[in-house]
Amino acid sequence: MNPVLVLGGGPAGLSAAAELAALGAPTLLVERESYLGGNPQRWHYSLLAPDLRPAQEVMGPLLSRVENHPSIERRLSTSVVRAELRPKGYQVVLKTQDSTETRDVSAVVLATGFDHFDSRRKYEYGYGRYPDVLDFKEVEQMLHEDRVVRPSDGKPPRRIAWILCVGSRDVQVGNPWCCRMGCVVSIKQAVEVRQRHPEIDAYVYYMDIRTYGLWEDLYWKSMQEYGVKFVRGRIGAVTLAEGGSRLIATGEDTILSRPTEVPFDMIVLASGMEPGTGTKEAATLFGVPVGPEGFLTPRVSDLNPVDSGLPGLFFAGAATGPKAIPDAVTEGMGAALRAFQYARL
Amino acid sequence: MSIVAHLPRRALTLTEEEAAAPPTMELAGRKRATAEERALATTIFGEFHADSRHREFVLGCLNCGECTTGCPAARFYDFSPREMLQIAQNGDATTLWDAMQEKIWACCQCYTCNMRCRFGNDIAGIISVMRELSVRHGIESTRRALAPFGRSLTLLMTVGTQVSSDMIQPDFFRDWGPFATGSDKVWQVSADIMRKAIPSDVLQTTRSAWEVSVQTSLELFRIYEETGVLDMLRGLDPDLTEMLVDIIEERREEFAEARERFGEELKGMQGPVATFSG
Amino acid sequence: MLSANEIRKVVEERNVHQRGTGKKVLDVREEMYHLEEKGELIVHRIRPENRPVELRTLFGWTKRIPTDRLWHHKSCGQCGNIPGYPSSLLWLMNETGRTYLNEPHQTSCTAWNYHGTATSNPVALAAVAARNFHRAYETDHFPLIHCGTSYGDYKEMRKLLVENAAVRTKVREVLRKMGRDLVLPEEIVHYSEWVHAMRPEIVARQKHPVHGVVTTVHEPCHYYKMVPEDAVYDDAVYAGQRPAVPSGILLALGATVADYSTWYDCCGFGFRHILSEREFSRSFANLRKIRPMVEEAHSDVAITSDTGCVTTLDKSQWIGKSHGLSYLLPVLSDVQFAALSLGAHPYKIAQVHWHSASAEGLLSKMGIDWRSAKAEFQEYLRALKNGAAPELLHPAHGEIEKFFAINKGQVLPDPEVVPALSAGSATTEGGPAA
Repeated sequence: MNPVLVLGGGPAGLSAAAELAALGAPTLLVERESYLGGNPQRWHYSLLAPDLRPAQEVMGPLLSRVENHPSIERRLSTSVVRAELRPKGYQVVLKTQDSTETRDVSAVVLATGFDHFDSRRKYEYGYGRYPDVLDFKEVEQMLHEDRVVRPSDGKPPRRIAWILCVGSRDVQVGNPWCCRMGCVVSIKQAVEVRQRHPEIDAYVYYMDIRTYGLWEDLYWKSMQEYGVKFVRGRIGAVTLAEGGSRLIATGEDTILSRPTEVPFDMIVLASGMEPGTGTKEAATLFGVPVGPEGFLTPRVSDLNPVDSGLPGLFFAGAATGPKAIPDAVTEGMGAALRAFQYARL
Repeated sequence: MSIVAHLPRRALTLTEEEAAAPPTMELAGRKRATAEERALATTIFGEFHADSRHREFVLGCLNCGECTTGCPAARFYDFSPREMLQIAQNGDATTLWDAMQEKIWACCQCYTCNMRCRFGNDIAGIISVMRELSVRHGIESTRRALAPFGRSLTLLMTVGTQVSSDMIQPDFFRDWGPFATGSDKVWQVSADIMRKAIPSDVLQTTRSAWEVSVQTSLELFRIYEETGVLDMLRGLDPDLTEMLVDIIEERREEFAEARERFGEELKGMQGPVATFSG
Repeated sequence: MLSANEIRKVVEERNVHQRGTGKKVLDVREEMYHLEEKGELIVHRIRPENRPVELRTLFGWTKRIPTDRLWHHKSCGQCGNIPGYPSSLLWLMNETGRTYLNEPHQTSCTAWNYHGTATSNPVALAAVAARNFHRAYETDHFPLIHCGTSYGDYKEMRKLLVENAAVRTKVREVLRKMGRDLVLPEEIVHYSEWVHAMRPEIVARQKHPVHGVVTTVHEPCHYYKMVPEDAVYDDAVYAGQRPAVPSGILLALGATVADYSTWYDCCGFGFRHILSEREFSRSFANLRKIRPMVEEAHSDVAITSDTGCVTTLDKSQWIGKSHGLSYLLPVLSDVQFAALSLGAHPYKIAQVHWHSASAEGLLSKMGIDWRSAKAEFQEYLRALKNGAAPELLHPAHGEIEKFFAINKGQVLPDPEVVPALSAGSATTEGGPAA
């Protein structure tokens, strides 16, 4: 049996590869980066929502199942540059910096994931211009290193604001969808900051809070136990305070129906999730239909969210839409099972 | 040709009181509406929702407030584009009527709300629709809001430019300083000479922004007649409208006389210049 | 199913700010040609004689900017109270050897009548737009729009005329009554786009270096917030994140373009506000624009590319003294700044004396001897007072043109399209003085 190709080494791809190996299928795991673990590893996620479990505790076991398995062939710093449908499976061309190689695979799992929205595109917030306007991923890294300071002067901030839905639910940047994670991750970050630095005030500016299902608990606790403050209304622009040392968040408090201009030391943008570069490339390579949002489209998403409808091609994780790690892991399992069934026929 | 529109007289130097407090716009519409007003409000409400632009401009709203954030008017008036959109979307006849009293006139039409709106609404556009209705029905507050615009309206309607250099009178524009108004006091020559010093003959007039030919202004007036603008204006200010009609009548006569005078030169010319009769 | 290439196209379009669901943005220009085929309207084409230059819009579409044989669609506010604005543009056209018509046969867009006082309606606005378009077409000169609001309004009206059959029919009917027809120009072009396209030719003639000059740009709302997809962007200007105009010409001339936090705000013009709510306009201009331009960016001059913005930002400053805001930051249009750096006369051409905030300090910084120029201008005024003939950028119009929008038989673009109007021989009426 030719190996099953798993494209992408994030949570979904790791999960798929591990399950395929457990089912006894030879597995070829291809990752464009030089490491496995996807976005959580790339950006050094700190604690994971909603249980506030350190990211390593989740990513560690996922990685070690794959790293130590003899029937998983891991190819890092490698891209698929060509794919052709064969009577059974695909023939793909793998490319590294200095070599190309043609391989026959019996099925394919696309776990190509998402990219964080480039917050520079929402230019009203001054990301990339004002050093103290940060992105989700930079704050994760900061929390991971346990060093919450203003990049501009290295001093600890007294007030931090989170702005939700940056690059999500916004036709002006072409992203009308909800990223599903922005609310809970922002709240988690605010809680993490308050846990460690109760002297820092944390404000969350929101238009809706979507801590769906059991995640609602974290939202409530963030107020009850950690004193995170919530203001209903969006910040429309970030400017510099007089003197240039502080940021001013300009917005409307839509409950009180009045404009607000509040100084902050740091502002965090809940940057949304967009189809990843790998996902866009995979769509082209494998001729996969994409929705108006640019994510891969399962044939019948409610019946089987991991089936592409194309022969031998399956999806897992955020390649089909914004997703939390547990959902990505589950889809990895489902895609592994479906790919295995196809490959064995 | 005499344009007799009045310039509003209003002191524009800041009083101590004004300097101490930021300017605000009084919120009208709180007093109880009369039966007549209520009936008019209902009519306007119906017309507003029947306007095809309503469906096109108002798509929905997440109430995020970003429109208000960027709004210059929201900074100084009791005004919010989000509220206006809510009224346009969900309001009843009374709230619409109230908003049309003064709030609609706070909008700067800068389109910042449109560019910010993550839902893709045309908020500046829907406010224009409300304004149009308030003019069409000649509601009292609109008369008041537009009272200072007799002169620019007259210019717009008759020659199609909204400003002329003789409108920028130093006593009305004292806050603009001594240099902004053609500078005749500074340069010791008349306003006419200051205009002569502009290196294009078309601009060397004080009575409109540029010289507009009679044919052009008559074509413009024809547009206003044909597209209902004149009727709209009649509802708002019948006296002004009659004056405009008189001005245009004079210009039509002038045009007819000129056609005789320049008959020779016009011979052989083609297109509108040959056929347009005013 | 989409092909791989189609998928790539979809994904790329998303990346260039394609709007998502809800309102789908279509390129109105494509539909315009379909309507022309059906005989519903005439498209005024950009021809080789117009020497077009290609620029890029927000969505990555190509926009062709004609640089020659232009019909000046003047701005009433500019001509009325900042006349150095249009005269600097005409002067730049003479310098770069471009031909044009600057006629009395134009009305303003009358959008003031709509956005200011609401005493008009979209059908009237569309008819006014089409009337001016037809006049440009009949003279075979391509319209160049001076005012940001006119530019925004005309883009809206072109969209309306293309998308709404009822408005189209009504407007055509009105135009026919004055012997005109429904003409839409292939592109709606703002003069600042002409400036952007002409950067190399303008910079080649620069006389006064401006390296030491710190400019701040006020981006006119109606340039890029009305019909945003048609505004010009350039990767070399703010990485394509902000409109390319008017920053592009300033960078090309070598000036510093400094950033400030409230760049996105409007100027405070507000149409009716600039006349009847001036407390608002001046508060907004001083507090939200001039103050950050000076205090954050240490700007020597504010540059903008629209009528209302120059007016509001400039004329609102003098009264600022009463609130302790004594900035008096010079405010110029991009063309005035460019013309000055090319050696245009500061008073006779750039007409800086109409501005409230004096530009003389800036002129010194640019190495311009304004004192001699001022003395010369005073001399010129005396001469005019004594009956001397004014110096003109283009030949004066004859008496007949006070009355008639004469057609001297300019060649019409395509005899196939409008046989009835196509007779005559090629002459241009205006153009730069020899």
